[in-house]
Amino acid sequence: MSVTVIPWWAAAFVVAAATAAMASLWLFSGFDKRGKGESDVSSDSDADASVPELDAAGSGSSFFHRWDPRCKIFSLVFFSFVVVSLNHGFGLFAGLAVAAGSLVVAGTPLRAAARRLSAMSGFLLMLLFIMPLTVPFHEGDRRIVLEGVPFVPFNARGFVLAARICAKAVIVALLMEPLLKTAPFSVTMAAVQRLGVPVVLCQMILLMYRYVFVFRHEMQRMWVGMTVRGFRSRSGWDTLGHLGCFVGMLFVRSMERTQRVYEAMLCRGYTGVFPSTVQFCATPRDWAWAALWVGTAVGLFALDRWQGAVARFLGF
Amino acid sequence: MHLSDGVLPTAVAVGSFAASGLCLALSIKKTDGEELPKIAVMTSAFFVASLIHVPLGPTSVHLLLPGLVGILTGWSAFLSIFLGLVLQSFLFQFGGLTALGANGLMMGLPAWFAAWLFRRIGARSATGAVVTAASASAAAVTLAALILAALLATGGEDFFGVAKIAVAAHVPVLVLEGVISAFVVSFLQKVKPELLRHPGGRPKA
Repeated sequence: MSVTVIPWWAAAFVVAAATAAMASLWLFSGFDKRGKGESDVSSDSDADASVPELDAAGSGSSFFHRWDPRCKIFSLVFFSFVVVSLNHGFGLFAGLAVAAGSLVVAGTPLRAAARRLSAMSGFLLMLLFIMPLTVPFHEGDRRIVLEGVPFVPFNARGFVLAARICAKAVIVALLMEPLLKTAPFSVTMAAVQRLGVPVVLCQMILLMYRYVFVFRHEMQRMWVGMTVRGFRSRSGWDTLGHLGCFVGMLFVRSMERTQRVYEAMLCRGYTGVFPSTVQFCATPRDWAWAALWVGTAVGLFALDRWQGAVARFLGF
Repeated sequence: MHLSDGVLPTAVAVGSFAASGLCLALSIKKTDGEELPKIAVMTSAFFVASLIHVPLGPTSVHLLLPGLVGILTGWSAFLSIFLGLVLQSFLFQFGGLTALGANGLMMGLPAWFAAWLFRRIGARSATGAVVTAASASAAAVTLAALILAALLATGGEDFFGVAKIAVAAHVPVLVLEGVISAFVVSFLQKVKPELLRHPGGRPKA
């Protein structure tokens, strides 16, 4: 086991840089919430409850907008699964480049991507913090020691493991934007259905997506009502009691609405499926692009395993 | 806590998709065909409720609700939970795309467990139902934490430390979830008790 001692100022610099990066990400992703003034009424306790729309950038004209949705979804999902199977730095850097490039090409709002990243940041920061400290030391691990604090068991291998997970999570999160936001959501779900996902699930997801906004609006109105009557959310028994009634009331209202919605659907001739007007027509161009993506993914995977073999051969 | 992409070994991620698929098929089979659109709309309500942040000391946690979803929807709970997670991943990136199967198992199986527990010893008396709901919810969160730990542990001994800390982090959540569920169930008993008696809101023939 080798030990590397780093001076305190280097550690301080790293911590400061990381904090600044996180803070700018949070600020950037949070600005639109404050800008719309939506969270003023909904108070601090559900400030995160604004629901982003998946259709917002559905009418652009980028490469991803023009690509056949079936090919697009298959290629990007395949690429994501390959990315999470990579083990080495090179493939992950290439994946990051592909993901960032796709995001730019798709032209979806960068703020939405930043919100995705900041939503994961808590989990990933926890990994980055815990894994170096808890990963057991093996033969050949490097132990990093802060100058003057020799007793903290910081394992460089644990940090690398956590960083690798972060890279994978970031790549897939960035790919979600071109995957979901470059077509109307109904078209995306129709394409998913053509790819073999059961009709039932796709239709239920479409219905849910529709009603999430309705219930969110309802919840916000109820929340305003509670706030006007003097409710403030803070730690304590009272808050829990009131939140319990709030959730209960939300459920009662939703179930009643569910019944009305279903009856209205029956009145309009619902027989178990929604008629779909979406037509797909894949050109050879679409197929070629899909082949290119799948080929790139397979190439990255092969390179990654090959790199592993070389590294073992050289005794790294 | 939702697993992000890249944490689990790919074989485990793909395997848990297969297991989730089986559970989904069972859940759909046990749900009446005409109930499916209703379950979808109800799931939106659960989804919105899970956006509520409960203050907890200096921080806040969002509701997980596996217990309540189980109590209110019975066999359909796995379906409901899984679809909710799909939407959470699509909209917010809470839980990764490739980890959806694992996250579905982690929340869906506890929901079924809570449903079973509530059906088994629940609604005999008003107080009994509230107490059972609280313990079923707490037990569901505990089970979710254990499944999470088991999934993390498939990554090898490097992940044991994270798994232990993840379980410990669920302790305050399970207490909170139990208390909130007790309040919700006691409210529903006064206001619309039929919701508790017939999972999915449908009287049994």
